[in-house]
Amino acid sequence: MNIVEYAAFAYLATAVISLLLIALIVVLNKFMGGKPGNENGEGVE
Amino acid sequence: MDVTTIAMNMFPGIASFFTQDPVIAGARVVLIILGFILAYYGFKRTLEPLIMVPMGIGMICINTGVLFLADGNTGTLFLNPLIANPNELINIMQVNFLQPIYNFTFSNSLVACMVFMGVGAMCEIGFILASPWTSIIIAIFAEAGTFATLVLGVWFGLAPNEAVAVASIGGADGPMVLFTSLMAAPELFVPISVIAYLYLSLTYAGYPWIVKWMVPKKYRGMDILLDMPEVSKKSKFIFIMVACGTLCLLLPMAAPLIMSFFLGMAIKEAEIVPYQDLIENTVMYTATILLGLLLGCLCEASTLLNPKVAIIVALGILALAISGVVGVVGGWVVYWAKGGKNFNPVVGIAGVSCVPSTAKIAQHAAEDENPFAVVMPVAMGANIAGVIVSAVACGVMISTIGFLK
Repeated sequence: MNIVEYAAFAYLATAVISLLLIALIVVLNKFMGGKPGNENGEGVE
Repeated sequence: MDVTTIAMNMFPGIASFFTQDPVIAGARVVLIILGFILAYYGFKRTLEPLIMVPMGIGMICINTGVLFLADGNTGTLFLNPLIANPNELINIMQVNFLQPIYNFTFSNSLVACMVFMGVGAMCEIGFILASPWTSIIIAIFAEAGTFATLVLGVWFGLAPNEAVAVASIGGADGPMVLFTSLMAAPELFVPISVIAYLYLSLTYAGYPWIVKWMVPKKYRGMDILLDMPEVSKKSKFIFIMVACGTLCLLLPMAAPLIMSFFLGMAIKEAEIVPYQDLIENTVMYTATILLGLLLGCLCEASTLLNPKVAIIVALGILALAISGVVGVVGGWVVYWAKGGKNFNPVVGIAGVSCVPSTAKIAQHAAEDENPFAVVMPVAMGANIAGVIVSAVACGVMISTIGFLK
């Protein structure tokens, strides 16, 4: 694997893990009955 | 015994300038002057005083307090970072006053973890919960500097593990840089850490220009209306536990740092007041002063006369610049995704995880154009998400650097 491929892989892995973590938090909050926040609906719902 | 010998024995700090290699002696003079400059600008609050004052003083003293050791070589009574033999180490710990602190708190990343615990105790997870996807997307964009610098580092001749250590500067998180460089390239962690902390102090001066350049006036003053969600402390605490466990499971190489950060957050959410006071004050400030002092005392001329230092100086500023620019690009992406409504692109700079400096830069940029604009809650969400993404990025790189070999 050359350095550009590795950097792309590592960036992608970082993005995926981070997004999964936030998805987990959003799902957990829904499960625990959290109330919505942002008026654009982007918040925790 | 002649006068010269008597003078050399009485004033070894001065005499050592004439017995050492002229390049080393010259570098010592430069570092003494640099130490004065850093400490002075820390005093003036131009640079972060918590780090720069002890670091500057440490730098001055390590390069002036030189004497002739028993073996005839020059050295100091502060610390020797190069001793690895256990017997020699035990002996020198009884002589060098900072040696025990260096070996038992610095070289094993304990002090970095303690600072990170303090950072966690100051973070409010509610800001992420208010706008989770915005926060994490901006933070992911703002991490671009790390990976771009990784590529540039290898192209400039660094070994992959050295490039990983230097690239961590792009995450703009001091303890993270310290931890990553100690794990990936311990032989370079002194110059990398010193340069990282210097540059992080300067982001407050440079990043506003990036924001002004990339976000036209009419967009900079946009207000963001945000209802903070009602999330119970119980929910926040459970999130913290789940996030901590999940990240440690996925990235065990970065587990000490991850645990420290989320432990700080957990203590804050659990409202364990004695621990909160302990971490926010005693632990945080003790770790910070030791960090600054040790970094300064590690700035011996011979350590910094490494030919790779010039590359690190260039790559460090590139890493932070790219992270800032791409972070603002992330702000624009979110702005357009929301149809140009209820979002301010300046928030993108807050994805660079210098907590809370970059969030404050975003807020100042907004209120300079519109005194009633409030972007701080969203900016803090991006800031804290940036810390998490930086930790993930460092964990990924430390765990997978073997793929390159």
